[in-house]
Amino acid sequence: MTARRWLQVIALLMPGLGIILWLIGSVVYIAVAQSFGAYGLTGESSFTMSYWADTVSRAIYWRSIQYSLYVGVLSAIFSVALAYPLAIWLRKPFPGSMAIGAVLKAPLLVHGLVAAFLFINLIAYNGFLNQLMQWLGVWDAPRRLQNDNHAIGVLILQTWKNMPFALLLLTGAVQSIPEDILDAARDMGAGPWDRFRKVIAPLTVSGMQAALVIIFIGAVADFTFQTIAGPTNRQSMSQLMVGYKVRGEWQYAGVVGVTLMLMALVGSAVLAFVSRMVMRGRLT
Amino acid sequence: MTHSRINSILMGLLVALSIIWLLIPFTMAALWSLVDPSQPWTADKLLPPAMSFYRWTNMWENSSLKSALTTSYTLAPAAAVLSLLLALPTSFALGRMSFPGRELAKMLCLLPLVVPPFITAIFFSSLLFGLGITSWRLGSIVLAHAVLFLPYGIRILTVSFEQVRQDHIDAARDLGASHWARFQVAYLPALRPGIFATLLITFIQSIEEFAIAFIVGSPDVVTIPTLLYAALGQDFVRPNAAVLSLILVVPNVGLMLILERLLKSANPTLASGKG
Repeated sequence: MTARRWLQVIALLMPGLGIILWLIGSVVYIAVAQSFGAYGLTGESSFTMSYWADTVSRAIYWRSIQYSLYVGVLSAIFSVALAYPLAIWLRKPFPGSMAIGAVLKAPLLVHGLVAAFLFINLIAYNGFLNQLMQWLGVWDAPRRLQNDNHAIGVLILQTWKNMPFALLLLTGAVQSIPEDILDAARDMGAGPWDRFRKVIAPLTVSGMQAALVIIFIGAVADFTFQTIAGPTNRQSMSQLMVGYKVRGEWQYAGVVGVTLMLMALVGSAVLAFVSRMVMRGRLT
Repeated sequence: MTHSRINSILMGLLVALSIIWLLIPFTMAALWSLVDPSQPWTADKLLPPAMSFYRWTNMWENSSLKSALTTSYTLAPAAAVLSLLLALPTSFALGRMSFPGRELAKMLCLLPLVVPPFITAIFFSSLLFGLGITSWRLGSIVLAHAVLFLPYGIRILTVSFEQVRQDHIDAARDLGASHWARFQVAYLPALRPGIFATLLITFIQSIEEFAIAFIVGSPDVVTIPTLLYAALGQDFVRPNAAVLSLILVVPNVGLMLILERLLKSANPTLASGKG
């Protein structure tokens, strides 16, 4: 390629890719710089490790890491585990399968905040679920279900919102398996579980990894579900970071932000690796 | 048991599931938005004792709903047009020119989608501080939305540019068409669905975006999602939150169904829910 052509390509990439790199690059740079005390917004700015040292000595930091990982990993696993059987069931079209697919994927169109409202409306103290359980005679009195301590509400919301996404990716992956391969496995006496374990799972592993990783990154950085439906005695990483920012403690927000980015990065890599091991380990 | 028998049982299960999955939540929200304040909806009643559109008219007249709608529906088209303009040159390069590192460039275009939204929001506002333009809130949000949702536009338009047929361009040139005329007859027909899809997807994403609007916009700029967030938290009034939820969800579902159509016509392999 000539220099002239290169200049042309670069000039064309500038407004799109260039501005993306500028914005995301600045965001990451500022987060890292502020966590080390640089890029001060109010007067002094110097390089120091003290914000990191200070933060890692706080219990709330570790609790938030633990909590966000808990929500991130479980949301990803639940969504994928629910989506797999559905994707396999919907693999071959049958009367009504389109309608079922549409119903299952509908949450993709529902805004997260709306989903959160629909959910807390259902589980409210005198909401639908409490009334139903009392009417059925399972519970004697209404129970307080919102903001439960184990974040079950958050996990249900995350799964409701993300399962359709996993379903979308897995349906594509499962449908691309040729029928002959499954027939061959069936002829050789493989039952449904063996067919899943030895044929479907290894052939759809990359679709599943993509679903796991994308859902994990979203859920580990969750703010809205956590602040609306999550436990009040725990904070997610995003919530902790926003808290610091609101108090003007940018450096601490930087420490939490950098940690969150590392968690997303390392967590995705680990999830992708482990899922590959689990899905492929039995083949060889 | 036969296959069709299993399927009909599963179908029954699924109808039940979809009732739990969608019908009950949305019915409850719709009913709550219709509760008339004269008589509260207590736990012992199956339906609200008095129903009216009072909450809707009241929210319309006495809350920041009107200004939030104006803001959201001004932000979104602005972000959509800006994003389209920014995406076009890069998509042209990625779709019609071959150069070393093109695949890497395509990957890097996805960056805004992997950085957690609140990290982008907080340190973008830090950047605005640093540049000394914190008072320029609305413009900053438009810029941030346009850039954050660029990956969608770039991806859709790159495929559209790939689909422009070289023989059409050559034929137009041979017939003596000027630059502009060539664009009109050879490029535009292939690009049109992609352009509409880009505008629409950025529009929808911008209407729905919460983190940037919340962090950069507060307290002056109120969008529908930030208003709903406030209604779910600090000033929780259930019927009002129900009204806002429906206002946010109903138009967007319609828009997204149109988008799905457009994506299918722009490129069959891209058709997928939110894109």
